[in-house]
Amino acid sequence: MNLFGLYVPGGTWLHRLGVGWKYLFLLALTVPVLLLALPWPSLAALVVSGLLLASTRVGARLAFALPWALWVLLAVLAGYQLAIERPDLAVVVSANLVTAIYASRLLTLTTPGPVLIDALVAALRPFRRLGVNPERVGLAIAIMVRSVPMLLDTVAQVRQAARARGRDRNLFALVTPVVVRAVGQAQATGAALAARGLGES
Amino acid sequence: MIRLDGAGVTVSLPASGQARTRVLLHPTTLELAERRIAVIGANGSGKSTLLRLLNGLVLPSVGQVRVHGLDTARQGREVRKLVGFVFTDPLAQLVLATPADDVELSLRPLVRDRSERRAQALQLLAGRGLAHVADQSVYDLSGGERQLVALTSVLAARPRIVVADEPTTLLDLRNRDQVRDALAALEQQVVLATHDLDLAAEADRVLVVDGGRILADGKPAEAIGAYLRLVRG
Ligand SMILES: Nc1ncnc2c1ncn2[C@@H]1O[C@H](COP(=O)(O)OP(=O)(O)O)[C@@H](O)[C@H]1O
Ligand SMILES: [Mg+2]
Repeated sequence: MNLFGLYVPGGTWLHRLGVGWKYLFLLALTVPVLLLALPWPSLAALVVSGLLLASTRVGARLAFALPWALWVLLAVLAGYQLAIERPDLAVVVSANLVTAIYASRLLTLTTPGPVLIDALVAALRPFRRLGVNPERVGLAIAIMVRSVPMLLDTVAQVRQAARARGRDRNLFALVTPVVVRAVGQAQATGAALAARGLGES
Repeated sequence: MIRLDGAGVTVSLPASGQARTRVLLHPTTLELAERRIAVIGANGSGKSTLLRLLNGLVLPSVGQVRVHGLDTARQGREVRKLVGFVFTDPLAQLVLATPADDVELSLRPLVRDRSERRAQALQLLAGRGLAHVADQSVYDLSGGERQLVALTSVLAARPRIVVADEPTTLLDLRNRDQVRDALAALEQQVVLATHDLDLAAEADRVLVVDGGRILADGKPAEAIGAYLRLVRG
């Protein structure tokens, strides 16, 4: 299963909408609820992103199904908030995570991959003066999107390893190895990109 | 034409902490001009190190590597445009989600117009009998299909030399034959590392690497013979 979903050709209004607007939707659905951290706005954003996703008519499974590793992650995060007696945050964190995935799918299910990259490269062009290479960063972000399923798999593996040592209650004990492995994967991808002469212009 | 020259190309890892300096490739002078060159040797003998020198993914600690006159250390970008590199694991090098997207990515620097780029990507995939998987997830392809897509992506950038690091090692027999045929049909110079001695026997020249040294270098029959004597005593 693909967390962010592959492009599904179609003729709905979201398919026709400019990619810039879709990036704005993504930000509007995710950033305010992260800052507010209140249950009702988070649930509202989840419902809105779900309704928008339904309007893409790509089929319920592609639109809404979540990989099992994500359920594990949600359970860990919500369980942690409940354990520290913050049921409100359990709702906020879970809803925000799912909203982020659904809002990203709005983009990735209705827009071909190369168009996503072109838009990112164009959006990053103003940052060139700050030493940002738009071509390279655009690529890097596209690759990050592709590698999220791999990352979820890593989370599940690391969590199993941590559980074997009785450390799965400590989130920080999970974060470090996940980051280390993610960096390793990023380096492998970097070598492959360099070999293809991409991201060097 | 590829040259490893200077006083002999050496690759070493600097000493760090307790570890002493480690030599991955002992001083080597080579001129690679043949159209088909195979590199054989045990795991850990230095095949990948030698191959990665050819496109600047590994830089010499001593000496120079020149590809069509370009120095891999100073002109890495230009060198990588000339040299396409096929990795053992195609998933490591397919960076986008579908074959069509990935081939299109290789075409980015060459073709500005997006719909033209798409059309060319689909055409290149169709040319390798991959039209039916163009829009599938790369995770849903067979090993052979993945490697052929990786090769298509590499070739889309129009390299003059193709370097392939054990491109068939992860494949079953049928997929291996497909990739072999695809490599055999290339017009470009091909340098490939392999454990497949039948494949090596088809080359114009075979290098045998052992412990970071070129142990034998010549016609396939002699070089493969030397390798078999080394392994079997
Ligand atoms: N970046 C590196 N750091 C440390 N050791 C390395 C590195 N790259 C290769 N080596 C070592 O160099 C030797 C040759 O490796 P390699 O060229 O990958 O061999 P082969 O491809 O023939 O299996 C091996 O012993 C390997 O462990
Ligand atoms: Mg190797």
